[in-house]
This record gives sequence, structure tokens and C-alpha cells, in this order.
Amino acid sequence: MKSDEKRNRILLKELVKTDFKLRYQGSVLGYSWAILRPLLMFAILYLVFAKILRFGGDIPHYPVYLLVGTVIWNFFTECTGLGIHAIESRGDLIRKISFPKYIVVISATSTAVINLLINIVVVIVFALINGVSPSPSWLLVPLSLLEVYIFALGISFWLGAIEVKYKDIGSIWEVLTQALFYAVPIIYPLSMVAENSYFIARILLLNPIAQAIQDIRFNLITTETATTWNFSSLSWSLVSIGICLATFVIGIYYFQKKSKYFAEEV
Amino acid sequence: MKWNSNKYLERIRQENLENDVAIRVENLYKSFKLPTEKAWGLKQAIINRLKGIKGYKKQKVLDGITFDVHDGEFLGIVGRNGCGKSTLLKLLAGIYTPDKGSITINGTLVPFIELGVGFNPELTGRENIYLNGAMLGFSNSEVDKMYREIVKFAELEDFMDQKLKNYSSGMQVRLAFSIAIRAKGDILVLDEVLAVGDAAFQEKCNEYFRSLHGSQTVILVTHDMESVEKFCDRAILIEHGKIICSGKPKAVTDEYKKLFL
Repeated sequence: MKSDEKRNRILLKELVKTDFKLRYQGSVLGYSWAILRPLLMFAILYLVFAKILRFGGDIPHYPVYLLVGTVIWNFFTECTGLGIHAIESRGDLIRKISFPKYIVVISATSTAVINLLINIVVVIVFALINGVSPSPSWLLVPLSLLEVYIFALGISFWLGAIEVKYKDIGSIWEVLTQALFYAVPIIYPLSMVAENSYFIARILLLNPIAQAIQDIRFNLITTETATTWNFSSLSWSLVSIGICLATFVIGIYYFQKKSKYFAEEV
Repeated sequence: MKWNSNKYLERIRQENLENDVAIRVENLYKSFKLPTEKAWGLKQAIINRLKGIKGYKKQKVLDGITFDVHDGEFLGIVGRNGCGKSTLLKLLAGIYTPDKGSITINGTLVPFIELGVGFNPELTGRENIYLNGAMLGFSNSEVDKMYREIVKFAELEDFMDQKLKNYSSGMQVRLAFSIAIRAKGDILVLDEVLAVGDAAFQEKCNEYFRSLHGSQTVILVTHDMESVEKFCDRAILIEHGKIICSGKPKAVTDEYKKLFL
């Protein structure tokens, strides 16, 4: 007889496969939407902010800079959006079979992870075309991606467990992410904030998403990027990583505590 | 009187067959919180808390259930709608968590609370076999090996590349049943799965149940008294969350029929 671990792996694999298959079924462009969506969003932002409002004039490779920000942000919102609704959308399974509920959250968010990986390839191609030269520091990028994923998972577990009972959480989170978008230096360079208030710039960089985006820009594009550790200090950097890990641990803990009752509440 | 003597008999069997117990359920309690007012939103939850309203009422579903299932026994569980049968099965399957009491399971338990768990109408019959198989713990290569048998048993050879939404409901159930019976475990838990398909398919299912008899530990929940008498070694009757009668299938089904007089 099989161990639980093996059964869980089989289940996870099949759920990921199904989600992936169903997602783009019946759309003409099919899977290319995974690449097109962030690219189109990037194109709009680029047109508005770089061409019309003339942001980021003095930043080298600003288009790549902007694309990195959009791709990471897109991953974060997609991941949390899917993760928070994971339990609810898989309610049929939860009511009928017994399995560790975290599998549902992992499988829901893995679609976003696959999209991210494809988008990263797009970013790299785009960067090379734009004249960014490859460097060994590119190898550090996965660490930042991991940071974003851990943070997004933590939020998904936490809010997802609440969402089972209070459906409002999904909508609240949607509004919140839209507000949060402007608190992350995605379209504007951090220097714009720093000119007004050094302190606020530091606070913004405490956000794990901001930290990850700036680190990726630093490692991938230009060392002129302000990161949490070179703009603030190493200890500020650790605080930011601490926020990320704490969210994850609290999220998992809360989720595991509540998951016993998902089957009757969902 | 009859009931008492049965209880006594059961105790004797327990003492003698301690090693042969497949499932032991002891003093099981379960209640649900049913929302009284609309308690779905955050707003209502906050208002309820401020007003000091609980927002739900406790509904007792299982009220101290105790029984054993022995190795190789075919046990029937009967009772009226809403008596707590399905809740009991979901507790056995580990889907719900009991408020109080314990469930000890000796071996692996395969529950069929519902057929075709995870079936997706947008996928083909073939894809759904793999998907539903995964829910039962089968890897892709294991499903590969039994794929032909599943399709043949379901009599759906010509439909495997069609989307499930184009199947009739009978076809869907046949497919689900064919996959379900591949599951191997020490204990099978079946909820109302006897009545599927047309007469010919019914006969196949009956044959399957007869083949289980004697070798496999089975718990069957049903409203069909005929199958209880046909397949079960023993039955229990649940009413208002309590076992009110347990023993020979015929005796229990008679009690069951009396509930409706």
C-alpha cells in the first residue's frame, strides 16, 4: 500500500496538470496569453509612463527595468488571487475526499509559477535585445523569485483560510493589491520618492515585493539600482526578509489550524 | 429485549475477536454550526459580535456512536434521511473531524462517499479516468495498466475521446463506478452506489458486491433494504444520531420499516 506522501504527490501532479489544461482551453491564442498578458500590460505602462510622462529618463535600460517590475508584480497578484480562492474553488474535492488541504493552494498557485518562469525567459530575451550584458549575478535572480513566492504563499494560506468563512476577503485583497501597486517602485524609480523623503523610500523598500524587484533589477540590469541593502542597510534587508518569512509561518500555522473544518465550512 | 441480547453478543465477540477488529468507533459526537442569520459577510460577523449574537446554532448530528467492524465483515448502515449516516461516513473517511470520541482504523480505508470525485465536464473521458484515478491514489502508470479494463467494464469504448459533458448521466456514473472498483484497500466504505446504470449494468455491480462478500471488509450505507438483506452480514440502524438497533440484517431492516409506520 502506498504511503500518504506518495498519494499526495500523485494528487498534486494531477491537479496542476488539470488546472493548466483547463485554463486556456477554448481560447484562440491558447497558452500564448500567459506571455501576452504581462507584455500588453507592460506596453501600456511603457507608453504612458516612459513616453508620455517621461519617467525613468536617466535609468539605463528603463524598458527592461519596467518589464521586470510588471512581470514580478503580475506574478504576485496572480499567485495570491488564485491562492486565496483555492479552497473555495476546490470545495468539491474537499467535501468528498480526505487529503492535506495545502495541496490545493500549492496546485492553484503553481499555474502562476509556470507563467512566471515563461515570463522570465521573455524578460531575459528582452534584456539581451535591449543591450544588457549577461553577468554571473543573474544566477542570484531565482533567490528573489523564491522570496516573492514564499511571501505570496504565506498570504494565500492566511487569507485563503479566512476566505472559506468570509468571502469578502477576496474582494478586499483585490482592492488592497491595487493600492499596493503604487507603493511598490514598479513604474516610478525609487529616486523620485527619495528626493521627497528619504525615510518613506526606506519604508517602501521594507516590502518584500519591493525588495525582490529591486534586487532582481540590481542583479539583472544595473548595479545602479537602489536596493534595500545598499539604500538602507543590511539590517533593513533582514527585516524585510523577516516580514516575508513571518507571513509565511503565520499563514501556514493559521491555515493548518483551520483546515480541519474546511470540509464542513466550504 | 432483542436489542439488548444483540448488544451482549456484540460485547462477547469483541472480547474474543480483539485482533480481528477492522474499525472501532467509540463514543463519537459531532455537531455542526448552522448559521442562523446571514453570517456570510465580514460585516454581519462584526455586527453579530457587537450585538452578542452567536450567528449560528449547534446542530447535533451524531450523539455518541459506538460500534466495531470486524475483518471481512460486510456491514450495512441504514437510517432515515438526515439521521447522520453520511456524517458518520465522512468522519470514517477523515473528511470531518469529530468533536469527541475516537475512530481507530486497522489498515487502509478507501471511501466512496461519492462517485467520480474530481470529474471535470470540460475534459475527455480518458483524461477524467486519470484525474479520478489520482483522487483514489493511482499514479498515471498504474491507470495505464488498468485503463482497458475500466473502459470495458463501463462499456464506453467508443466514447473515451469525447468530453465528459457530452456523456449522459448514466454513462458518467458507469465510468465513475468502473474506476472506483479498481481501488484496493483493507476496508471499503460505500455510500449509495448500488443503484447505478440500467438493468444489465446493475447485474454487473451486484456481481461485484457478491465478489467482495466474505473476503473484504465493507461498510455500506443505503436506503435499499433489499441490498442490505442480500449482501450484509450485519446492519445497524441510526436514528437521531444514535444507534437504535444493531444485529442481523433482517431484524434491522424490519426495525427500519417500522420507523415509517
